[in-house]
Amino acid sequence: MRLTRTLAVKLVTGVVMIWVVATATFFLVLAMPGNPALTQEAQDITHGMSPQQAAAATRAMFGFVPKAPVLDQYGTYLWQLLHFNLGVSIAEEGIPVSHIVGSAFPWTVILALFGVIFSFLIGVSLGILAAIRRNTKLGDGLTLLGAIINGVPVFVIAILLFYVFATLWAIFPQGGNVSVLETPGWNAGYIGSVVTHAMLPIVCYTLAGVGAWQLTTKSSVISVLGDDFILAAELRGLRPVTVARYVTRNAMLPLFTILAISFGLMFGGAVFIEDVFNYPGLGQLMISSIGTKDFPVLDGAFLLIIVAVIVANILADLIYPLIDPRIRRS
Amino acid sequence: MITGAVLPPEQLYEAMQRSRRRSTRRWRLFVSSPGRVAASVIVVVFALMAIIGPYLYPANLPINPRKIYAAPSLAHPLGTDFEGTDVLALVVTGARYVLFAAAVAAVITLGIGTVAGLAAGYYPRSTGRVIMRVTDFVLAIPGFPVLVVLAMIWKFGSPLAMGFVMGVFGWGGIARAVRAQTLSLRERGFVEAARGLGLPGRRIIFAEVLPNLAPYIGMNLMLAVTAFIYTEVGLFFLGVVSYTTSNWGVMLNNAVFQAGALTSTRALAYLLSPLICILLITIALVTLANAVDEFFNPRLRRL
Amino acid sequence: MVRVPRSSRSGGADTVAAAPAGITVGQPDADARLSGPAAVSVRDLTVAFSTPEGLLPAVSHVSLDLDRGQITGLVGESGSGKSTLALTLLNAVPQPGRVTSGAVLIDGLGDVLGLTRRNLRRARGASIGYVFQASQNSLNPLKQVGKQLLDLGRSHGESDLRGLLRRARTLLDDMGMDANRVLASFQHELSGGMRQRVGIVFALVLNAHVLILDEPTTALDMLTQASVLEIVRKVHAEHHLTTLVISHDVGVIGDLAQRIAVMYAGRIVEEGPTATVLADPRHPYTRGLLTAMPRITGDVALARPLPGRPPDLTSIPRQGCVFRERCPLAMDICAAAEPPVTKTEGGERRFACYAAAGETP
Repeated sequence: MRLTRTLAVKLVTGVVMIWVVATATFFLVLAMPGNPALTQEAQDITHGMSPQQAAAATRAMFGFVPKAPVLDQYGTYLWQLLHFNLGVSIAEEGIPVSHIVGSAFPWTVILALFGVIFSFLIGVSLGILAAIRRNTKLGDGLTLLGAIINGVPVFVIAILLFYVFATLWAIFPQGGNVSVLETPGWNAGYIGSVVTHAMLPIVCYTLAGVGAWQLTTKSSVISVLGDDFILAAELRGLRPVTVARYVTRNAMLPLFTILAISFGLMFGGAVFIEDVFNYPGLGQLMISSIGTKDFPVLDGAFLLIIVAVIVANILADLIYPLIDPRIRRS
Repeated sequence: MITGAVLPPEQLYEAMQRSRRRSTRRWRLFVSSPGRVAASVIVVVFALMAIIGPYLYPANLPINPRKIYAAPSLAHPLGTDFEGTDVLALVVTGARYVLFAAAVAAVITLGIGTVAGLAAGYYPRSTGRVIMRVTDFVLAIPGFPVLVVLAMIWKFGSPLAMGFVMGVFGWGGIARAVRAQTLSLRERGFVEAARGLGLPGRRIIFAEVLPNLAPYIGMNLMLAVTAFIYTEVGLFFLGVVSYTTSNWGVMLNNAVFQAGALTSTRALAYLLSPLICILLITIALVTLANAVDEFFNPRLRRL
Repeated sequence: MVRVPRSSRSGGADTVAAAPAGITVGQPDADARLSGPAAVSVRDLTVAFSTPEGLLPAVSHVSLDLDRGQITGLVGESGSGKSTLALTLLNAVPQPGRVTSGAVLIDGLGDVLGLTRRNLRRARGASIGYVFQASQNSLNPLKQVGKQLLDLGRSHGESDLRGLLRRARTLLDDMGMDANRVLASFQHELSGGMRQRVGIVFALVLNAHVLILDEPTTALDMLTQASVLEIVRKVHAEHHLTTLVISHDVGVIGDLAQRIAVMYAGRIVEEGPTATVLADPRHPYTRGLLTAMPRITGDVALARPLPGRPPDLTSIPRQGCVFRERCPLAMDICAAAEPPVTKTEGGERRFACYAAAGETP
């Protein structure tokens, strides 16, 4: 069936993209002035390791042995990747990168997910409102507001939110993901603390994305409102509620394709939001690993982000045919 | 557009009158909206700041250890920073880096993006597919993490380097938009006529299609510049790029992470000044981009 | 007497049938029968659009009767106002247009223009069926045909939905389609001709007694056109409808309609039994239309197109006969005032032309 072939192509493309990015980061590390792997190995030897031990340690850390021929290194690197072995952290001696990255991952994803959901819900509702009341003060005002919020950079929103709601009016905690006073676990205190600490970042993600959703929804609704079948429905005497349902479903369909992209954009914002709010997610990990020159961690975090984005895209591509009957049956 | 056609004098005069009336009408529409006039003024002011600002101050701004984080006063309308340097001076001199790098990025994006978009739109089946695959790849990857990783490898703190990096990674949006427009224009009468006349593809693209796209590209470019400003300021704010001269992003970084401006109220002006500048110029550019869109897209104009 | 609720509508010269009795405006009344042969009576209708250059009429003082059980054809070029007229029958003129004078009386409904919103919605579909010009896209692309029929039934408070589907099935079978397959299909799975036929089903499934077809054969190939016309004829006869067919194609109207009305620049310039009008057109525009059509037999060179272009909303002449700039018989008086309507053949035919009036015995 043509459908499965298209999906297979998308799957393959996704895998290829991950491979390309992995390869790119590999060669980037090699290309760096002062190859960190070599440096590390040299350091190890100075610290008393035998050359073999040093080589082994470096391989554990970076996923490849620096002095071996490039292709060999590359092969080892890919092999390690397939086993989900991302190396070992430099800054935190001996702790596997996958561990570090893995514990940061959920903090980022959960926040971003809520952000996507909320900005979608609010943005779409406002967009529909702006479309129905277009060319009135309300509609034009909403559109203008949406355009402005869309243009404001994420970190500006983050800074302002933090300042106003965590410092000026100290309603929310000043950063962090949970209060250190709470014991981790499924208890009310811990969960409550996680929630209060997560609120401002989630609001931030939401505000960052709501403008784009509103503008896109508005134009989609306006376009559907002009479609022949809506006029036909009215001329056939369909109830306004039914017509509204027709409009909404048809207008929302193209928005779905944007959902996956917006998930990817959230990760871009994550770097800033986690920085400002001191939130221990992948974004903050990336920044701190630059400071500590912890390349394996940086690579690992980056790779994980890429994989998450690509998986989200593939999922969206898989689900879309299920909701659009025009594509389903061909 | 048939170049070289000569109209008899009366018709030529008529045509000139008509186009002059159209321009006057457009101008009147433009100045009738106070928001747009304000937006233009803002952009001009910042441009001037970027160009002549650094000449108004000495190369090394004076520090004053006795006036650290001073509150706004007559001598220092926006207060001072952690070294006692006047914040207003920092803002004005910081504009140059921000706008220059954004301009460099804009030029590069314009070049690559427009060419890629035109080619992909005009030859959608062969060249177009390849170009779009590459573009989609560039677009799918979340921009900031890539730049952060790159920052580790290569110090692109100078405005030229920064502009270059942003431009090279940022042309995806324009390419896609230009491609969409080219695709639709391609089916229009005048393109078919040109093809029928046997004009070479390159000539058609640059002489016929491109001029029609100029306002659309201009609008997208303005929006791209806002994205570039936000990108570079963001990178400096995160502290992942080392800086040669102070700029707004550096100011933000200092304010938040060194002055602790987020957790106390004492360095408020230091924190807010670059923020407000960014907001102002972003809003101004978005407003102007909307104006361009409305002018050249009569369907959007209100009756 | 007809009560006209809005003061903006003038009574207008009643040039057609006698004033009907017993109609109350605003409420559909099954006893509100129009006396006389007309099931639909348009009285001195003017529909104007708000433009930067002012309020311009797209339909100007049009009076037209659709006789019960007859197929009436409305011919005109694009921009003649025929589609606007059709939409007005459902009080569905799009913004920025509005009715500025006149009435549209329909058997059993009274004046459509005075109906409340609720009654208007009910009338649409249940009393008047409208089949679209672009039946290509008149259905929700995301829902199956059968489900949309059910939506239609529910919107009109139809309690017997199964009966509705049965009626739909019968209609589809009558039109030569596989009912089960069509009901389960999405719009994109149907061909152009099938979509047009499905459009007709939607218009008739609630037992409307007035059927309006706007350009039913445009965008269809010749073979499908022929079958659609055949179906219209059949359906009209079987369900005892009053049908209005709108087309720019004189051939289609000539084939189907018993009466023909010719529209130009928002006015009806000629009207009468199809056979006589087409055999002996009185108005120069009708003559021009017919002369412009090449016949299958005969010399192609005999076909002469009308000079000039039909006017659009802004270029309709504001004074005098709207056709005079393209008319071979134009006289001085034509520029002074619009020609009055002349009736001939015992009121069966009418036209509006100074020159033609001069020719009439």
